[in-house]
Amino acid sequence: MTDRDCERLRAVAEELALGILPGHERAEAIAHMDRCPACREHVERLTLVGDGLLALLPGSEPPAGFETRVTDVLGLNRSARRWQPRAVVSVTAAAVIALGFGFGGWAVRTAVEGPAAPPSRSAGATGSEHGLLEASLLAPDHHPVGRIFAYPGSPGWVYMSVDLGHDGPGSGSRGGDGYPGAGKVSCRLERTDGTSLRVGTFSLDDSGRGHWGAPARVAPDTVSGATLLAADGSVLATAHFDVPRNQ
Amino acid sequence: MRRLGLPLGRVPDEALLAGMATGDPEIALAFVRRFQRMVFGIAIAVVDDPQLAEDIAQQTFERAWRHAQVYDTRRGSVRTWLGTIAHNLAVDAVRARRATPVSPEDLDALLGVVNRTPEQWALADEAAARMRAAVAELPREQARAVVMAGIYGMTARQISEFEGIPLGTAKTRIRTAMGKLRTVLGPERADHD
Repeated sequence: MTDRDCERLRAVAEELALGILPGHERAEAIAHMDRCPACREHVERLTLVGDGLLALLPGSEPPAGFETRVTDVLGLNRSARRWQPRAVVSVTAAAVIALGFGFGGWAVRTAVEGPAAPPSRSAGATGSEHGLLEASLLAPDHHPVGRIFAYPGSPGWVYMSVDLGHDGPGSGSRGGDGYPGAGKVSCRLERTDGTSLRVGTFSLDDSGRGHWGAPARVAPDTVSGATLLAADGSVLATAHFDVPRNQ
Repeated sequence: MRRLGLPLGRVPDEALLAGMATGDPEIALAFVRRFQRMVFGIAIAVVDDPQLAEDIAQQTFERAWRHAQVYDTRRGSVRTWLGTIAHNLAVDAVRARRATPVSPEDLDALLGVVNRTPEQWALADEAAARMRAAVAELPREQARAVVMAGIYGMTARQISEFEGIPLGTAKTRIRTAMGKLRTVLGPERADHD
């Protein structure tokens, strides 16, 4: 890699970022970017300009029935799903497997901790749009550091966003001890019977921020909350689902 | 902290995408409803054909569903990701159908739309308002070049032929316009949410 290579890249960076660079030039430019982080960053920033241009286009409603046609094509229409459970299950399984590698490189690992307890399944909790659980993630000092969503449908899933704010505004209020450094953290679902279920591990960036989602079985009758754990097992944050019991 | 009855409209975009990828019909429907206006808007702006735009919008959601695993929150929002998919599909469709992606009349009309600043648009998204203002301040020939390249996906050679200018001039107009627009993004990564 030479300065001349970088100069040649910079001469076509705008066209590359907008996706209009002809094939052979594009191939050369991409090969250079693979070796040159500075040029890669330059082009990525120009790509944001292209994104910004698209954001100027006004929205427009598609023809009536569009959403139904899309879900039909995806095999996700509710009525179609009732008639083709096997097909949907296989598609879902593939999607779930794929999802496992999607959100920032997290790894799904399920491990039951505490007293053995079979997962409680509530027929009324599956496939319901009304069963979405939501709670704030609170640090030990009760400062909100994120949110968690848990969906008890079939299949269910868990999603959380975390911002521990290592270097953000207000981080000083948490004192000099702060939180453990960035790295692997785990999400653990807590059950009302005292058992817990670790549903996944993911990474936070240097600022203590991250998003994560994973397929997970969520039984609304027995799940009480969630805990965000550091790699050493210490508690970073907890969330409590305010779930009406014995419905 | 609460449960039951949480409107899907309040669920973050990334969570909806994750939910759709698991095959849940309700979540999928909510995902499509949230983004269909944006996706169809991009498609119709590029292809100017309602039927083709609907096909492209539909393909966009199919791709999003099939490729949710490659979505990476660190590289931009779900909205931007979907918009890019829709735009790429629309540009490919136009390239396959027409030698010249845009007529002079359509280009002028789109430039008018891009430069227009209805109050609700400006209030809705500060970053978009800054970008819109920056495009409006570009010299006309640079604005035309960057819209032809960035919206219609026209190559520098196509722009030179369309405008009747040397290839080098077309490249310079694109490059100069992009340089000016880049400054409005500021030091932080821009997003559209």
